[in-house]
Amino acid sequence: MLDRRALLQVGSAGLLGLSLPQMLRANPHPKARAKAVILLYQFGGPGQHETFDMKPNAPAEIRGSFKPIQTRVPGLQVCEMLPRVAEIAQHLTVVRTIQHTMGNHNSAAYYSLTGMAPSSDDQRLRDSLELFPAYGSIVDRFAPAPKGTPTFVSYPYTIRDGSISPGQHASFLGKTHNPFFFTQDPSRSDFRLPELSLPASISAERMESRKEVLQLIDSQSDLLEKSAVAQGIDESYQKAVSMLTSKEFKKAFDLSQEPKEVRDRYGRTTYGQGCLLARRLVEAGAKFVNVYFSESIGGDRGGWDTHGFNDKPQDPILKDWLLPITNDTFPTLIQDLEERGLLKDTLVVWMGEFGRSPRINKLAGRDHWPKCYPAVMAGGGVKGGYIYGASDKIGAYPAHGQCRPEDISATFFHLLGINPETEIRDKLNRPFPISRGQVIQEVIA
Amino acid sequence: MRSLLVWILCSTPLSAADVSFRQEVMAVLSRGGCNQGACHGNLNGKGGFKLSLRGEDSTFDRNAILKESLGRRVDIQHPAESLLLRKATGQTPHEGGPRFSADSSEYRLLSEWIRQGCPSDPDHLPKLLKLQVSPTEKVLISPANKVQLDIKGTFSDGSTRDLAHLVTFEPTVVGLVSISPTGEVVRQNDGELTVLVRYLEQMVPVQLVFAPARAEYVKRLVSLDHPIDRLVFPPLETLRLSPSPLASDQVFVRRAYLDATGCLPTADEARGFVTDSRPDKRAKLIDRLLAKPEFADYWAQKWSDLLRNEEKALDSKGVRLFYQWIRDSIAADRPLNEFAAEIVRARGNTYENPPANLYRSLREPYGRAESIAQVFLGIRLQCAKCHNHPFDQWTQTDYHEFAAIFSKLDYRIVENNRRDMLDKHEFIGAQIVFTARDGILKHPVSGKALSPRLLGETKQLPPQSDSLDEIAEWLSRPENPFFAKVQANRVWYHLMGRGLVDPIDDFRSSNPATNEPLLKELARSFQQSGFKLKSLVRLIMTSRAYQLSASPAETNADDETRFSRAIIRPLQAEQMLDAISRVTGVSPRFESYPKGTRAGQLAAPPLTKRGKKGLEAERFLKVFGQPERLLTCECERPSDTGLVQTFQLLSGEMINGMLTQPGNRLGKLLESKQSDAEIVEELYWSALSRGPTSTELSRLSEFVAKSSDRRAALEDVVWGLINSKEFQLRR
Repeated sequence: MLDRRALLQVGSAGLLGLSLPQMLRANPHPKARAKAVILLYQFGGPGQHETFDMKPNAPAEIRGSFKPIQTRVPGLQVCEMLPRVAEIAQHLTVVRTIQHTMGNHNSAAYYSLTGMAPSSDDQRLRDSLELFPAYGSIVDRFAPAPKGTPTFVSYPYTIRDGSISPGQHASFLGKTHNPFFFTQDPSRSDFRLPELSLPASISAERMESRKEVLQLIDSQSDLLEKSAVAQGIDESYQKAVSMLTSKEFKKAFDLSQEPKEVRDRYGRTTYGQGCLLARRLVEAGAKFVNVYFSESIGGDRGGWDTHGFNDKPQDPILKDWLLPITNDTFPTLIQDLEERGLLKDTLVVWMGEFGRSPRINKLAGRDHWPKCYPAVMAGGGVKGGYIYGASDKIGAYPAHGQCRPEDISATFFHLLGINPETEIRDKLNRPFPISRGQVIQEVIA
Repeated sequence: MRSLLVWILCSTPLSAADVSFRQEVMAVLSRGGCNQGACHGNLNGKGGFKLSLRGEDSTFDRNAILKESLGRRVDIQHPAESLLLRKATGQTPHEGGPRFSADSSEYRLLSEWIRQGCPSDPDHLPKLLKLQVSPTEKVLISPANKVQLDIKGTFSDGSTRDLAHLVTFEPTVVGLVSISPTGEVVRQNDGELTVLVRYLEQMVPVQLVFAPARAEYVKRLVSLDHPIDRLVFPPLETLRLSPSPLASDQVFVRRAYLDATGCLPTADEARGFVTDSRPDKRAKLIDRLLAKPEFADYWAQKWSDLLRNEEKALDSKGVRLFYQWIRDSIAADRPLNEFAAEIVRARGNTYENPPANLYRSLREPYGRAESIAQVFLGIRLQCAKCHNHPFDQWTQTDYHEFAAIFSKLDYRIVENNRRDMLDKHEFIGAQIVFTARDGILKHPVSGKALSPRLLGETKQLPPQSDSLDEIAEWLSRPENPFFAKVQANRVWYHLMGRGLVDPIDDFRSSNPATNEPLLKELARSFQQSGFKLKSLVRLIMTSRAYQLSASPAETNADDETRFSRAIIRPLQAEQMLDAISRVTGVSPRFESYPKGTRAGQLAAPPLTKRGKKGLEAERFLKVFGQPERLLTCECERPSDTGLVQTFQLLSGEMINGMLTQPGNRLGKLLESKQSDAEIVEELYWSALSRGPTSTELSRLSEFVAKSSDRRAALEDVVWGLINSKEFQLRR
């Protein structure tokens, strides 16, 4: 008999015998333009007016206190605090017009991390196995990295606003597709992953004798021979052992192998070294790397949520923390990838869950604004020096080229060589395409 | 005069040649797959053309065809030029590919309808009364490889018509069969499936089995004294599946302990059972297990999983009270229908009336309706929230009227001392669940206020009644059409590894039981026993079907649905941790639970506080799939293995700590002056409920003897036992 689980459960066969899965095959996977994606996730929601969509001609309460500088790309100005970003603008595609309706961090984060609109805009949206899987988990499901390297790596935080933001794991796709996730700080000198090392008392030889004991016991029953469940466990063992012993992958985590000067260039911050690690992981074969900029939405050294609450106006935080660290890291990563010849097939994406309000509020901050905000992409098959869409005069709504988070996800998948219409099924066996959006063809080189 | 003319036009009888939009054109669109979710039935349509999902809305669909796209979809003057036909036949490029050919009956119907001017249906069009399909079930043993379905419909004008050319065929599994346009089902591969035959609002499931000849089939006579065996074994003969032999005592004792109590037998218990020579020792063991306190722990954990017993919503006092209430009910073997009824009608202070905690977790009427339907009625109603259920009888109205039963529930938050001010899921303090005076749900389409109605009932609940008392009373009636079957199937699933209906909360005509007579018998027996869990568990565990080996016999290696052999499953998170703790003799620690609490005794998964990592044992349980209890679905407990899980056992710090702790079981065994062989023997019995084979004993004794560090070598043996497949699986 055919394995029932191996067979797709779908609907009607067409009259010419062309069933839906065949139709999907008739729409085959596109050619991959990117081998890997690095998602630099800007939790809290960066303001477009202080980054990639400056409005110098708008009234003062809208344009804010930062001035724009011109990049080499006509029409693209960036904040004066981002001069190094301006220098690499020829590599960037700036999508200026993402729009959705989620005003809360958790619902918006879920939307932007999965491309799936939540059923309601609610801070209380609770992470559960009903919700959609993260991009990287879908990539692991349909285009996994070769053995010895995890497809999807994410670090160094579980992001949360009150409760955990959904969209950071495999959810209903199953644990096999969860990210290789850790919270150790890559900027610390003792940075190491316990998963990738044996306990101190266990030498390699001792591990060998343990494996022999295990083999002896496993060979006593017919489980390995006859049971798919046992074979699955064994496969996972092989994979884990190969990671434990894989020099390549372990080496990726040994940041001490980088020249001091390179490490300094990325900045000795958690995020800076995280960006460097992302490059090393991609070199080792990982296909989707989520680097979370911050654990929390805001605060002095947190994310981009600059409302001006608690007597903390936005300007000092932007000036002392958010913009300088962005200026130090993002262009460094792009340049580093470019110098190593990796940029052409590594897609780097810089985005958050929403933008910020055009009008500066009474507390000298800006509020949440999902109605028009930017994402910046580079490499991996997207155009360099390109602007997609335009916002209105005050950066409030798209003037043209409006797009949605699912269009961004469809574009990721397309560039990675995965048809965005590929079907997955949730816990209730309901069918969903991996993205409900349209590929933004204009940004593709 | 003008109105008269209109009247005459409208009442013109449909001539024999007139094509009906609803009964023929839309049927053809369904048949072509055009209105499916993946195609034009999609929320956003496809290529600018949207149809209602599976033809729910004929007015919408006719408009879509006639009026949109500047009327290019149909060309009445030149029907063949209509985009509808050109796309469907692939003459104009069509993303969905050609759906039928220009010489098909489908094409003729569509083009004839267009030629007639795309008429809508007259009011007096005879209605479909009943769709009849025969056969509705059949087993085909190779070389038999096809079956012709006979498909007829009876209509309100008394006519009976052949409908084979109009219905839609939907196989639930792809790749097993091909189906001709006239309903001949031909085997492509061996397997079981249901073919749904649909026409208009009706659907008939046809259950088909295409079995290989299985020349190696060996018939074995087994005793059919047990009511379950009487229904399990004869169908195996028809399918030529040779059942596996009975499991050995060693395998059985481990299985029975794990399934009934969630714990491994101790070395002594296992040895005692294996050496017992009484012929009825298995039945005796089952009785002993049912009386153990661990039985109540284990089944209370299962119900706690389902009933959302979790700390964030209920607080640490609440989960303990709710757990205790559930556990007491199970220990007392309280009738399960009473148990359910009490939960469904519960209100009041959740500290004083623990069953009201389910409604403390489920804070809005839709979630309550969906959860109650899923847990107690085995119905996944969720699809019907937004559109009629595509694979079931439930309409959107059924959904919303059922949800209306729960619309008036409200909360009084007596106090909330949440620790994390930002976390709006967190409640700490008393709450009172009560029925408010108002709280009316509206129908999402019509906007009309809804009055509550039970699923499958035709009448609304009486306006003055308490809708929760009504549903509780209905649920606990012995003749309730859902309850007994669903709960019997749930217990079968827990003991046998797969539901007769699977998934177990997805009962619908398009997902029939693999053995309906058996399901009926289980339900009947369960109901007759007064809905007692223990007698149902006893009934199942004493059957030969339960006690079969998992190792395949001659022809049943590929059987996953007929229970001709035992199903192998990984130990659950709590079982695994408790088993490791048993073997190493080290108890895990859980925050704010007394020392010595087993994982299987936790009232709820321990909460990890913000910024904290949680204790090792708590993290271990999460990694191994302890459900968070946010879905009222068994599916929340995953059975798949992840890499992190493997690392925990392979190189994890917790396991290493348990192995090396000086005073652990190994430490005690070393002090006891036993020989290496005796220690190995003891470790085997406690981990695997069997002694080592002679090969194992000699090789491991030698390994320990040769080692420079006796303790380290024995730690390696325990490590090997814990990491073995035999340990990690229930078989």
